[in-house]
Amino acid sequence: MSVIRAPSGTPGPTAGEACTHTQHIDELLHGNPNLWRGCDMAGQGCHGRSTGFSQLDDILPGRGWPDRGLVEIISPCWGMGELQLLIPLMRSIVEQGKWILWISPPYLLYAPALVQAGINIGQVLVVKLDTSCKDALWSMEKALQTENCGLVLAWQNYLPGRVLRRLQLAAATGDTLGVLFKHHDSKYSPSSIRLQIKGSSSHKGSFTEAEVTVIKARGNFRPLTTHIDLYQQV
Amino acid sequence: MEDPERTKQLTLSPTGSMRAASTARVIRLPLRTDVATATGKSRATANHGASKRRSALWYALYLPQLEALPRPQQQQYLNKLAALAQEVSSTVSFHPQALIFEIRSSLKYFGGIDVIHRRLGQLVAAQLAEWALSDHFLYAVSPTVTGSLLLARSGHNALVYQKDNLRSALGRLSTEVLQLNREQNRRLYNMGVRHLRDIWRLPPAGLRRRFGSDFLNQLNQALGKVPEPTRNYLPPPAFLTCYDLPYELENLDRLLPVADEIFAQLCDFLRRRDLGTSQLLFSLQHEKRGCTEISIGLRQPSRSRKHLMLLLETHFSNLSIPAPVTAVKLEVTQFDAFVGYSNPLQTSEKWGQSKNSFDSGENQQRSGRKFYSDPIFPPNSRGNLNQLIEQLQARLGEHHVKSINSVAEHCPEYASQQADYLEFDTPGKKREAVATQVALHPRPFWLLEQPLQLRIRRGRLYHRKAITIVSGPERIETHWWSGTDVRRDYYVAREQNGSRLWIYRERGADKRWFLHGFFA
Repeated sequence: MSVIRAPSGTPGPTAGEACTHTQHIDELLHGNPNLWRGCDMAGQGCHGRSTGFSQLDDILPGRGWPDRGLVEIISPCWGMGELQLLIPLMRSIVEQGKWILWISPPYLLYAPALVQAGINIGQVLVVKLDTSCKDALWSMEKALQTENCGLVLAWQNYLPGRVLRRLQLAAATGDTLGVLFKHHDSKYSPSSIRLQIKGSSSHKGSFTEAEVTVIKARGNFRPLTTHIDLYQQV
Repeated sequence: MEDPERTKQLTLSPTGSMRAASTARVIRLPLRTDVATATGKSRATANHGASKRRSALWYALYLPQLEALPRPQQQQYLNKLAALAQEVSSTVSFHPQALIFEIRSSLKYFGGIDVIHRRLGQLVAAQLAEWALSDHFLYAVSPTVTGSLLLARSGHNALVYQKDNLRSALGRLSTEVLQLNREQNRRLYNMGVRHLRDIWRLPPAGLRRRFGSDFLNQLNQALGKVPEPTRNYLPPPAFLTCYDLPYELENLDRLLPVADEIFAQLCDFLRRRDLGTSQLLFSLQHEKRGCTEISIGLRQPSRSRKHLMLLLETHFSNLSIPAPVTAVKLEVTQFDAFVGYSNPLQTSEKWGQSKNSFDSGENQQRSGRKFYSDPIFPPNSRGNLNQLIEQLQARLGEHHVKSINSVAEHCPEYASQQADYLEFDTPGKKREAVATQVALHPRPFWLLEQPLQLRIRRGRLYHRKAITIVSGPERIETHWWSGTDVRRDYYVAREQNGSRLWIYRERGADKRWFLHGFFA
């Protein structure tokens, strides 16, 4: 923590005064989200939306998903639990009365699974699979700009940084969150958060465990890895 | 019949209106002679009558055969007939199973009441024949709306020119024409009233007390003593505008200012009539080719020029034209009532600004967002989303935006349905219908459209990597009645690379393994 040096002329502060001073300074520091403190993981204040997994919350800045912006989830193949990771988020978005748009998902979206997860499928819209990449990105941008679309999910692999930046801006405009599912990591992507999800390697054969690595997150400076139980949400 | 000279009776021919029309010639009497000779009143009264000649004359068309039809259809037919009757009169009002037109103002133009009658008769008979209804109708002409209606209902087909003669003409009618309820009829009958003239003799105060003011009002209206408000037919609005370009255009962007101007006209038109539109047809005409038609559908009736322009631009962005455009045409195919809304006192913009923003770039975005939060739609409702879906459908095609639904069905491939995003006004209803009807066993997020057969190598299942079964089986046996017998044991499995699969084994002869979904 920072050291507070009292002005030389004044007598040294008593213990109680020092305590209130640090409190004030802490308050000032925490109140300003533009200030980044390298040592403090949750330093951005608690403005994120909880992911529903306490282990994941611990390694994400703001203890949760950002309110707006672009999240990339990298998984070597589909079926690693990448959607399970978003279920609590989807639930809270649907409860807010906002909609979820799935843009050209790789397989048929299976409604009974969403019902089992407690998501109102009346607020789910799907853009069909055979949409061209250009149209899909156009749809994603438009959807991100729309405030009623709380969450936009898209499956795209190689996207140039310019496109990602544009989507990021669209998300900031509409106050929405976009999630891109990819197979490969692109190093210099401007997304707010890049996560990698793998099947847990340590627990051989464990079905519910997954290993999540935060490759990049705004306000975070080093990659962090955690193991989460996908079916044990807080 | 007290005054036979002034109340001409037309014979009704039930077989066809054409014959009735030919008998209508009997009634053509010059009005002045009618007044002067028949009544023999003083010159002053005749002059008075002449000055009153401009008072309206109402032609009632009564169609008793409509009564058997359901009410909405009645109204629809009457609307159609009213549209036809606009040919002879500008004021057409609706009454139960009847239409009443004002014909005094058209008398001179058509040259007599029988011309009008014949004309109407032809139109109405042709229309009735088209609907496969019997083509007779009852009619009457009198100086009051209610009077005409009562006369027409009686089937007397009478023509009464003068208000003074109405009392005697109506007096002959039976009380049935008033179409009272059973209790009132009974009471009238018990009072010894059989015809309207019996009512004339009764004191109005007592009648009002016994039968209510509506009853008395109707009679007074028939006699022309009180004014008669009517619900008049308004022709449906139509908007069709064309613009010939001074030179041919190939670049659609150049067309946008023209379109903007046309939309401005349209919005002005809609605003004046307090209407909105939800379906437009914008066509681009080419020389020596057919025209390119762009159908613009709106999810919510609108009359916002900006919104329409936005949709048209989206259509243009996806459009290639076969030849240069020589003219543009805009037609409104559907009008709707315009639903207004009021702005909230505190806009969401303010909330956004009160929060701390992360960087200056975001502030710029906020100001850019004004375009989207422009009050085209109510900001708090689903209007915003509707606009998005309209745009998506305009660009991707009508059937590319789907909503999903869960169905109570054992067979996994039929338990989920995708439907076009259409009438989505009752999402709450849908959720209730769905929530209880899901299987208890876990279901995967992704389902393969075609199950993929799995290989077995050295006694182990392989997809891309080796597969180990985690839980199961869940037996599903269904659809034996449809020929495609489904007998499967479903398992939850895990691939070696961490992928979670939903696989099944056929219970048929060859016991093959299939991959059916992913627990993403």
